[in-house]
Amino acid sequence: MDHRIVYPRNGGVAIIVPAANCGLTLEQIAAKDVPAGVPYKIVHVSEIPSDRTFRDAWEYTS
Amino acid sequence: MSITIDGGAGITFPDTVQQTNGMTMTGGNPKYYAARAWVNFNGTGTVTIRAAVNVSSITDNGTGDYTINFTTAMPDVNYAAVVVGQQNDGGSTNQTTQLFDGGVYTTSRFDVFGQSSNGSNVDSAIVCAVVFR
Repeated sequence: MDHRIVYPRNGGVAIIVPAANCGLTLEQIAAKDVPAGVPYKIVHVSEIPSDRTFRDAWEYTS
Repeated sequence: MSITIDGGAGITFPDTVQQTNGMTMTGGNPKYYAARAWVNFNGTGTVTIRAAVNVSSITDNGTGDYTINFTTAMPDVNYAAVVVGQQNDGGSTNQTTQLFDGGVYTTSRFDVFGQSSNGSNVDSAIVCAVVFR
């Protein structure tokens, strides 16, 4: 899939990578795999940096 | 050979059963059991699932910190998750990929961590996980 689901986690950001063949929509995956009550965004994969040198310093912006 | 149901002998399956989802279960003694879920994903760069069965997604929580989320939950938490990761530094340091005490391990998901010999989290180039129950 070309999209990612991002949500805040412990002051940083968690990024959900959906499986293309799982039979669920992005919204269904978000409903199941994002912790209850936590806001999230669906973004294009191009918005996620590929350089992970400072991965733990990434932050979630709403 | 077909499936037979006998009140005394129970149910007898043929040597090979092709399930509707494409997985194959083979008979024998001891019997073989297909994995309930498996996934192969890139843990560095743009984290991407390469292939998966019964995995809805993986969550990139941070450096060397991933969660594997099942599409259909396991029947209980007594499943066996086997994980392995590929080093991303060409083998210059010791690096393991493992389950951690304190990590999530529920019927819906479990955590996988990549760690270097000095105890810090490190990304794995490729992470593979298989689940049996």
